[in-house]
Amino acid sequence: MQLQYTERQQAFRAEVRAWMAAHVPKTPLVTLECREGFDQHVAWERTLASGNWGMVTWPEDYGGRGLDLIEWLIFEEEYFRAGAPLRANQNGIFLLGPTIMEFGTAEQKARFLTSMARGEVIWAQAWSEPGAGSDMAAIKTKAIRDGDHYVITGQKTWSSRASFADWGFGLFRTDPDSKRHRGLSFILFDLNSPGITRRPIRQLHGHPGFAELFFDEVRVPVENCIAGEGKGWDVAMATAGFERGLMLRSPGRFQATARRLVELYRRHAHNAAPAAREAVLQAWMGTQAYAYNTYSVAARIMAGGRIGAEASLNKIFWSELDRAMHRTAMQLLGAAAELKQFGDGTANDWLDGYIFSLSGPIYAGSNEVQRNITAERLLGLPRLGAG
Amino acid sequence: MTMLMDPAPSADALALATSVREYLAETHGPEVLRRLDAASGRDPAIWQGLVAMGLPGLMVPEDAGGMGLGLEEAALIAAECGRVCLAEPLVDTAFIAVPWLLAHGDTALLADIAAGNRTIPLPHAINPWVDGGEGLHSVDPLRRLGTAPSDPPTDPHLLNLGALMTAAQLVGLAEAMQDQAVAYAKLREQFGQPIGAFQAIKHQLASCTVAIEFAKPVVWQAAAALAAGRSSAAIHVSHAKVAASDAAWAMAETAIQVHGAMGYTYEVDLHFWMKRTWALCGAWGSRAFHLARLDDAIIGGAHPIGPEHTFA
Repeated sequence: MQLQYTERQQAFRAEVRAWMAAHVPKTPLVTLECREGFDQHVAWERTLASGNWGMVTWPEDYGGRGLDLIEWLIFEEEYFRAGAPLRANQNGIFLLGPTIMEFGTAEQKARFLTSMARGEVIWAQAWSEPGAGSDMAAIKTKAIRDGDHYVITGQKTWSSRASFADWGFGLFRTDPDSKRHRGLSFILFDLNSPGITRRPIRQLHGHPGFAELFFDEVRVPVENCIAGEGKGWDVAMATAGFERGLMLRSPGRFQATARRLVELYRRHAHNAAPAAREAVLQAWMGTQAYAYNTYSVAARIMAGGRIGAEASLNKIFWSELDRAMHRTAMQLLGAAAELKQFGDGTANDWLDGYIFSLSGPIYAGSNEVQRNITAERLLGLPRLGAG
Repeated sequence: MTMLMDPAPSADALALATSVREYLAETHGPEVLRRLDAASGRDPAIWQGLVAMGLPGLMVPEDAGGMGLGLEEAALIAAECGRVCLAEPLVDTAFIAVPWLLAHGDTALLADIAAGNRTIPLPHAINPWVDGGEGLHSVDPLRRLGTAPSDPPTDPHLLNLGALMTAAQLVGLAEAMQDQAVAYAKLREQFGQPIGAFQAIKHQLASCTVAIEFAKPVVWQAAAALAAGRSSAAIHVSHAKVAASDAAWAMAETAIQVHGAMGYTYEVDLHFWMKRTWALCGAWGSRAFHLARLDDAIIGGAHPIGPEHTFA
């Protein structure tokens, strides 16, 4: 057990804090799920990039700072302490970036990573299809080789950021006769390619946060395939590991929510239900437990370990914690919970946050799938029908 | 070692805990619990074995014949005691009384404790009993509870030590019940399948796993805070006690449910761990007591909270 920050880490924290204080927008941005808000968030990505704070854990060669995971956690703590905006390029930072670093060719790294780090290209993901949600191996959208190109035909859905993003990545069936995990390839594509139709889908909050993508003989150069034809499943599993694992949700975000919830409770304590008091304490306890665990995992990874199926535990924990915190806030607000803006004109962030929190247990592998993974890979329980 | 900010127990502490786990697994299996229960007594050989391992002296300084280790190691060993449902007064004497005596500079009894010649069940105003004695009957057939003295101490440090070590035992109890439930779910077949193949069983056990795995770092954090004498230690101890109790209690109910009617019998050993869990959840401060301490600190505002205060 080592529970002291080094002087270097403390100096780094001060540096982040000072930069954030000088640059975080004073008024909150419009939600990134609409055109106006998306453009504001892209501008924020470029502000971050101008200070070289866009991709802090990436190697310096690709526009990052080469920070270790503990420094990353400190950065995130200060980021959320400052109330900085959500990241428009989250798919790039945490999913595609690490994937290209691990599986990409030198040319692919040069071509895609720097523009990602600079906030010049914003990425959407395209995993799910109408018939392939939790069961991702059921993917049908075809990418048929034709000379130097793949010709993509089919449909993707629930593509986050795809309403407004520039490029997308996803899994496609390059071997039309293949089944399940085999014959899939990981392919990057320009969302403005001829033959792609984006149909924004209105989400619960009314904004088009994600989109359906229709591919009608879309020609994509073969050099946009990562790790080689037919290797898509392995690449996607590694990507899903990054997502569910350490980096998708750093503790700082939830600790900031817990602090806001405590402040909300203090204002409403006089008419709060006794259960609300305990729920507020559980919020602090849960976010702290998540933080300790994340530091431990980070230290383990830095010492050469990897994160495996226990990433599923993380995903279950933070997503259900986030939903519970926002539910508690909605209950504390009582009749005011339904208002989009309060009487004083300020936005009801708790309502937006609650709606967003409902997606946590669903996306990046539903929590039912995560519980299956936990039971089968961590506890060793048998698959149904295997015996 | 590089300087990693790491709230997990050190490799040395984990290695020690593993050796204790292996020893107890060999010498203190469920058949021992059944035998002790049937005889309504203790077996001096068990205590002598713990003495031979040096465990009563774990925290006693080396010049008094002990190992001179700290609360981090002690908490890990307390978890191992919970894992085997140990009924000997090791935790109370070696991991609660010894650090309390050390904190008060009271060294007279330490050599005797390290030699295994003396156990010290300490009363505290928070508990209506003393663990070690006669006169009261616990639902846990292996617990020996005595009547509390009329004017027990109220020392908050003793309470924190007791609550921390209770939380640590609950971690081990919860993991043991998890193992038993998983083993039964793999074995028991219905509808042509091991019941553990069904999602209804899987998801309950997965939820318990989440609760246990996120209670453990909280307990280790509390041990570190108390060992370092941080002013926030009481908050971390209360957090640990609540988190470990909730995880263990949920695990107990899930474990009996997975065992079905078998779980409701005295023949399945699960009941020893379940009853110890109920007993320890209320010991050294109830849930209400520890939540009230957290309330004062977190909602009351004495403790700094938020993303930049992870290790406050």
